[in-house]
Amino acid sequence: MIVPFGHVIVLAGALFLLGITCAVCRRNLIMVVLGVEIMLNAASIIFLAGALRWFSMEGQVFVVMVLAIAATEVAIGLALIVYAYRRTGSVDPINFNCLNEQPTGSQLAGFIRE
Amino acid sequence: MNWLLFTPEIYYLLVSLLFLGASMGGRATPGTDYIAALSAAAVGMAVTAAAVKLEGSLFAGSYRIDLLSQVFKVILSSALFLVLCICAQLNGIRERHRRDFYCLLFLCTVAMMMLVSSVHLISIYLSLELSSYSLYVLVALRKNANLGLEAGIKYFIIGIFASAMMFFGMGMVYASTGAGYLEELTEVLPGFVHDPLLMLGLLLTLSGFFFKLAVFPFHFWAPDVYQGSMNQVAAYIATASKVAAIGILLRVIAVLGEGNAYLIQVLAVLSIVSMTLGNLAAIVEHDVKRLLAYSTIAHAGYVLIGVLSASAGGYSGTVFYAMALLLMKFTVFLVVVQVASAGGNLRIEQLAGLHRRSPLLAMALLVAAFSLAGIPPTVGFTGKFLVFTAAMQKGYFTLVLIGMINVVISLYYYLMMVRAAYLLKPDEALPDLHLSLPLRTLTGALVALMLVAGSFPYPFIQAANAAVRALM
Repeated sequence: MIVPFGHVIVLAGALFLLGITCAVCRRNLIMVVLGVEIMLNAASIIFLAGALRWFSMEGQVFVVMVLAIAATEVAIGLALIVYAYRRTGSVDPINFNCLNEQPTGSQLAGFIRE
Repeated sequence: MNWLLFTPEIYYLLVSLLFLGASMGGRATPGTDYIAALSAAAVGMAVTAAAVKLEGSLFAGSYRIDLLSQVFKVILSSALFLVLCICAQLNGIRERHRRDFYCLLFLCTVAMMMLVSSVHLISIYLSLELSSYSLYVLVALRKNANLGLEAGIKYFIIGIFASAMMFFGMGMVYASTGAGYLEELTEVLPGFVHDPLLMLGLLLTLSGFFFKLAVFPFHFWAPDVYQGSMNQVAAYIATASKVAAIGILLRVIAVLGEGNAYLIQVLAVLSIVSMTLGNLAAIVEHDVKRLLAYSTIAHAGYVLIGVLSASAGGYSGTVFYAMALLLMKFTVFLVVVQVASAGGNLRIEQLAGLHRRSPLLAMALLVAAFSLAGIPPTVGFTGKFLVFTAAMQKGYFTLVLIGMINVVISLYYYLMMVRAAYLLKPDEALPDLHLSLPLRTLTGALVALMLVAGSFPYPFIQAANAAVRALM
């Protein structure tokens, strides 16, 4: 391995944090799913680093498997999101918050803003 | 490769594929489909029970068949059968989705069976994901689309987030040790105890299981998903999904927990927080399913006490607790499904006068609630007794004390349900609830089993002991 192991970990960690930020902050369900995909890709980088570090193929098998997992995840996620869009005409997660009628934190924040 | 070892999984997969094929063509015949699904589940239970003595490993050693996995497979197959027993009136979903519903239910059971047999990081991750994907769709299938849709989306987003964290954690574990098999991890872990990368990786890896089990930092989905999903699906999530999560958590902690003081401390903190939070939040709930969701979070805390004891007694207590959870939770959901026969959600006030409308259901609710609260001579008491004893033997006195205090707190909301069923008068006279003969037999059998397994638990404890011997 030419690049030191620690550098790869830092890269993967940074990418993971970017993914978390995207998944938590974006107000669009598709972008949330995209953020989670970025998190999965960051994990794949760690597995590749491990495979190179320990000279074993297992890490690369993980990455191939997670490609399939990510594809399935997107398929189910997009199906749900399309279904949601058809019913409500919106992909903003804030519109899906009517369970447990008591006002939640985000709604309270909305009241205060109004 | 000996495919005979894989028989139960192949059977359930075939049934699921048959329903998938049926859902694509032909007109819906709800009556016949239901009979087919129910008998397929009954045969599946027999197949799983026949495979209980098998031992071996498959798929290059990443899949282990031993007594522990087989016992959990029997519990899972009976959970599927029981849940199908209360699916006679599927008012919660459209008629044309019935076959999809059965297909996903069987597929999810296959995935959970694979989960309890997995001993490699890849197989654990794959089967965990497969079981979650079926559940996301099952939750969103509800006819009252706004509830089901919202619950499905929340479950999906939190689920994929937790699974991405878990995968990142597995990456850290693999990159720092080079081990993918749980056995290899047992060998190399003592040399890496002070490696921060590995410890962080282990914690993130466990987060995936915590999500399944609804343990504290990953519990947010539980109340909303229980409330938003169909009553039968909520019953399935509360029983089968929790049993599978307990099974894999036992396997993983048996590997990681030995002499790993940090991990045990973290588990103890999570256990305390989730039982306290679950019990306190349940007190103010009036929707029965939300209340049961918080009670699930609290029970996840009790289960963790047994798991973190990391002794033979703790593990076998946990297996016993898994069986007890299946019985108690399922009985409460049976009552919920029967009382809310139109497929809607049930509020506690709507239980009023249940002892007049159907004495049998009221008694089943009484016994199940007492069992969930842990009052002798019910099975819930024996389960808590085993788990707490194991923790005491390890010297975790404070943990057991907090557990006891929590049991007392939880009495309040379980008794609220019983009070509504026995003491409250309904505002208007409601018609009697008539159960079919098979359902009456089932209810009676569940009540009897909860009392018998609580009073004479030795055969069950012995089965649990034999199962966990595979771990030691």
